[in-house]
Amino acid sequence: MTWIDFPLYSSIIVILWFIGLVFLLISYKKQAVLKIANLLFVSGWAVMILFVVKLWIELDRPPMRTLGETRLWYATFLPLIGFVTFIRWKYKWFLAYSFIMASMFLAINYLNPETYSKTLMPALQSPWFIPHVLVYLFSYAVLAASSIVAIKGWFDSYKGNFNIETLKLADNLVYIGFAFLTLGLLFGALWAKEAWGHYWTWDPKEVWAFLTWMGYLIYIHYRYFHAQKSKQALTILALAFVVLLVCWFGVNYLPVANTSVHTYTQY
Amino acid sequence: MSENNIKIQRNLWENPWGYIESFFIGIGLIITGLFLEVFSTSNNVFTLSYPYNVIFLIGYIVVLFVLYKWFTNSQIIRWLTKVPASISSIVLVTVLVMIMGIIPQIPSENKIINNLGLNHITSNWAFLLILFQFLTCLGLISIKRILQFKWSNFGFVLNHTGLFLALTAGVLGTGDLQRLSINVYEGKPSWVATDQQKKEIELPFAFFLKDFLIDEYNPKLALVDNKTGSIAHNDGKNLYLVEKGETYYFNNFEVKIDNFLSNAIRFGMRYEAVNEIGSPPAAKVTVKNIENDSIKTAWISSGSFRYPYESLKISKEYSVVMTIPEVKKFSSDIDILTKEGERISTVLEVNKPFKYKGWKIYQLSYDDKMGKWSNLSVLELVKDPWLPLIYIGIFMMIAGAIYMFWMGNKITKNQE
Ligand code: HEM
Repeated sequence: MTWIDFPLYSSIIVILWFIGLVFLLISYKKQAVLKIANLLFVSGWAVMILFVVKLWIELDRPPMRTLGETRLWYATFLPLIGFVTFIRWKYKWFLAYSFIMASMFLAINYLNPETYSKTLMPALQSPWFIPHVLVYLFSYAVLAASSIVAIKGWFDSYKGNFNIETLKLADNLVYIGFAFLTLGLLFGALWAKEAWGHYWTWDPKEVWAFLTWMGYLIYIHYRYFHAQKSKQALTILALAFVVLLVCWFGVNYLPVANTSVHTYTQY
Repeated sequence: MSENNIKIQRNLWENPWGYIESFFIGIGLIITGLFLEVFSTSNNVFTLSYPYNVIFLIGYIVVLFVLYKWFTNSQIIRWLTKVPASISSIVLVTVLVMIMGIIPQIPSENKIINNLGLNHITSNWAFLLILFQFLTCLGLISIKRILQFKWSNFGFVLNHTGLFLALTAGVLGTGDLQRLSINVYEGKPSWVATDQQKKEIELPFAFFLKDFLIDEYNPKLALVDNKTGSIAHNDGKNLYLVEKGETYYFNNFEVKIDNFLSNAIRFGMRYEAVNEIGSPPAAKVTVKNIENDSIKTAWISSGSFRYPYESLKISKEYSVVMTIPEVKKFSSDIDILTKEGERISTVLEVNKPFKYKGWKIYQLSYDDKMGKWSNLSVLELVKDPWLPLIYIGIFMMIAGAIYMFWMGNKITKNQE
């Protein structure tokens, strides 16, 4: 299958978003141009929706059967979550992240036309697949950002000018990221129940996802109880991120890897 | 609130218990559990089934409630509702789960792993005991915040009570979970399923398979190294789908697909479409060597359990082959027949289970040697009476997560 107009549509979308990103960058200096940036983002997104609707009608089924089609959905919903988060929390970098990721997925589809028809096994053809991956994409991004903030905190306290505001920023990012992480975990469980009849099998990937979740749980409770102990909190945050990285990349290298059903090298 | 406690000099086990005491107790529980593992003679996994698990759950909640209501002043209850007890149990559960993430949970040769039961953590006494402390903390603080009855506790209750419900129901529910699989053949009714211990179980209803259907993707085209037999293009990723009229490029070869038949067998020099069991897909390809303009045309085929595959050798090093088609979708068109003479028709598909009389019926697999000609469909039946409770817990947590995303954290907000 080929999406005949895809190159045209995706170029329009990516160009609109790219100009939007430039304006977003300028808006750090001149707040007023933020409106222009948002206008560009929204128009790009409208074109995106138009394309998805057209494709759906043309295929006469929900486009959810191939790798290319799932990427299209990522590109559609990433900006949406990005916007909701931006409206609530005003992190401009996060808005930028969501549009860059979305553009990246469009670019991958554009560069690998043959993967439009890259096949998806039946178990992955589920309405839970896309939300599951999407919330994880966001969660990892926000939690990674919280770790960057933690590193800054370490660095500052090393130089003796640590500011508690830094930790508060980390807190907020952890809360947002942890909320997404919880959603990812639960969507995964609900999906597994629909596909295989059990929500949780303690498969290695699931074990490490659970550990990641517990790591941030420790951070949240430690912070709540010991609002002033910033050094220890920063350490917990760093350790939690290490567990996250193991979950993301490392599971394939552990002795348990060959018992996992989740070690697809790509999604 | 907590900072003051810590600054005051105090001795071990003096009021209030902090992290050292918490970890002391937690590690004590784990060691007790490991002793139980080593010395307990029975190999039975500890599970409760109906009605004992229901009694246990109700009793547990009542005890938690009574403890909270009338024994708040006791040292141990005060400790259990504070963060150190929680954090220590979260940490220790994490440690045990981490062991599970490192040591494969399968029968082991290693003496230590075997004796301590480190290859079956989820049913290990150490894990169960520490999980019990974890749930007790969670239960007590849930009760505490629920009884405070404040809107500002909304998110807290959703998160903590939701997790408590999902976990307790999950743990206690395993005793009542039934998971059966049944082989269903086209054209005849089947009612004998087998459970996980391979015991046969007669169902009160029968399955009649009218039709088993597999929808396949087209096969893919691959370049194979003649010597090693392995795929020599793109690391085996992103292979090209065989479609009539497409032209693909491998290194310096141009491969054009002149024709494609999804079910065909060879008649002399060519393949022809047939409608016969085991007839594999076949394609006519024209391969042009761009360097010297030589052209080869031939039919290639994926082969099947009945017919051999055919490839095309295009040079000393390489051949073009067609892979076995991948499954896009498989489904069973079934009737469920009851003793009362009822007949319920439905189509089962992966990710689309069917609910019937407390059972969820899943499309599990089929005879993969026969592929799309399989007349066997394997179904799975799962009965999980605790599911509603687990789902309530999960949906409370989903709501809690959304609340958490929207509200952010208190520390930040209070001091803004
Ligand atoms: C879904 C997972 C969880 C989330 C999202 C969560 C979140 C929170 C938050 C945000 C607070 C701060 C209280 C507030 O702002 O009102 C808190 C407090 C607390 N949490 Fe959790 N928690 C979770 C699981 C747990 C678990 C598993 C335990 C115990 C084993 C626990 C024990 C506690 C305790 C003891 C407090 C302090 C309560 C108090 O002082 O009244 N939490 N939690």
